Amino acid sequence: MSSERRRYILETKDLTKAFGGLVAVNHVNIKVERNKMTMLMGPNGAGKTTFVNVCTGVLKPDEGEVIFDGRDITGWPPHDVYKAGFVRTFQVPEPFLKLTVLDNVLVAIGNKGENPFRGAIKWLWIREEKENIEKAFKILDAVGLADLWDRQAFTLGAGQLKMLEIARALATGAKLIALDEPIGGTDPAYANDILSYVKGLLKIWDVSFLLIEHRIDIALPFADYVYVMDRGKVIAEGLPDEVANNPKVIEIYIGE
Amino acid sequence: MLPPYVYLILNILVNFAVFLIVTLSLNLETGYAGIPQFGRVLAVLAGAIVAGAVPGRLIAYYIGEKWGAEYANHLYNFPIVDRINREILAPNPLLSIGILLFTLVVAAIFGGILGYLSSYPALRLKEAYLGITLLAFGDALQIIGKYWQPLVGATMGVTVPDPYRCIGIGAEKTIGATLIFLGFAILIYLFVESLGRSPFGRALKAMRDSEVAAEVYGKNIVRLRGWALIIGGAIAAVGGALWAFYAGSMKALTYDRLTWTFWPWAFMMLGGTGNNFGVFVGVLIFSTVRSLIYVYKHALATIIPIKPAWLEYILVGLVIVLISLFRPQGFIPEKPALSVKRKEIERIKEAITSKKAEA
Repeated sequence: MSSERRRYILETKDLTKAFGGLVAVNHVNIKVERNKMTMLMGPNGAGKTTFVNVCTGVLKPDEGEVIFDGRDITGWPPHDVYKAGFVRTFQVPEPFLKLTVLDNVLVAIGNKGENPFRGAIKWLWIREEKENIEKAFKILDAVGLADLWDRQAFTLGAGQLKMLEIARALATGAKLIALDEPIGGTDPAYANDILSYVKGLLKIWDVSFLLIEHRIDIALPFADYVYVMDRGKVIAEGLPDEVANNPKVIEIYIGE
Repeated sequence: MLPPYVYLILNILVNFAVFLIVTLSLNLETGYAGIPQFGRVLAVLAGAIVAGAVPGRLIAYYIGEKWGAEYANHLYNFPIVDRINREILAPNPLLSIGILLFTLVVAAIFGGILGYLSSYPALRLKEAYLGITLLAFGDALQIIGKYWQPLVGATMGVTVPDPYRCIGIGAEKTIGATLIFLGFAILIYLFVESLGRSPFGRALKAMRDSEVAAEVYGKNIVRLRGWALIIGGAIAAVGGALWAFYAGSMKALTYDRLTWTFWPWAFMMLGGTGNNFGVFVGVLIFSTVRSLIYVYKHALATIIPIKPAWLEYILVGLVIVLISLFRPQGFIPEKPALSVKRKEIERIKEAITSKKAEA
């Protein structure tokens, strides 16, 4: 168990979530290795996003366990999952619409001044705030949003909102980040840049990624290990090459 | 005697002060935290009840007068409070200040407790359902205050001890009391503004804009909403207590939801939600117009075909409808509130982006 724990940051055991008669996630066992990019692919409606929702506490699972960093976090509320070091992005961006780009990132980083007693006294949180602003600009610069820092989120375009999603998640310094279709709707060259940047972070940060994508052409080369889901179940797993040549995978993507 | 325009200005200022306090508290809960607070009157009334029920009884007990249920009976209440004002408060400025501050603290605590209790339904209900529940809470307390005599004299009300009596009687007292009221309003404005610009205010806005994203990014929604309701309730109760002190009497009947819930909503919507300066402007415009209508009602009666008293109601209704239709963001829309000076942020940004360009 201890070597398992050291090797995997996230492990699900028979994780199951049903909506009425539809079993969206059906006894899913997935392991995310530390400091690696694990990819979860599958067609629309395969249950990928539901899987992320159940892991991060947005939805409660019906069955099964979520083990994160050696701890059973099954059914924890999202803010506790965050504190444990696990965050996720949203496939359909969920920005804080009236806050600036910078404030969106600062909210994600958090500050002790979020307690109202400290909040009322500026010198109790201002130093932390300045450090956070520095952190935020490093990330915003990398995703190309630094010059838009004072724009309110509702004025951003769709592609920029996608980048803001990534920026918020990266800025938290979490141990595991689930990226839910981070490049959906962006052009291939841009998508490549972003994935290269994210992948590069594995070398300099102590972080792991769970990348959820269905654009396999762009994303697959970046993955270290791949799971394929279809209709709520994991139907294949392996190294990217193996999975790409797996007849079951070809079948669901290209058709019989 | 002061010239009439001075009374007009004092009237505007005192209306402005009380509604600024109450509307700021509403804005914290509704504009910042996104809670549909349709029961603002609850905490305002609680504060007024504290002012009517607590300080008078304390002093009555101290000087050997009736302080139990009989205190709130108007037959006893008026002479007791009259004696308190003349013999205890008038010659004792320090004691008067102490009584005022003590009562405000007790009122804030009660307002905070009511806010905390309101956070239970706020966890389970959303939007319209929550709004209706909070509205019912407010009405429930008003009914208790209106019919349970031992509390604050039911329909006859009670006289409130006058901590401003030491300033004098007549014009100088009115001026003094108004300025003190205004002073409290400005302090509260500075307090909520500093909260609004802090990470706390930002977290409230984040929760308002996307609850699920706020949770995923580590915000405990239950706790944040609870704090907004506690702080908002405490501030509103302070407003209610100050109003009861200023008025010199307290009748639960007059704390109706039109005046203490819907008007603040109209002021907030007019000025701009989620933005304290907008509230400031909205309340200032409204208090001025209301005072003008009140002062010139006789002149108005000769030129308009309805009772001038109805003008206020028509005005509030009209503002809510027109603002919702044509300018839902209010006169002064919510602007990003920077926690650190813009220059400082630009400096940090330059340092980071230029370092990268060199590398």
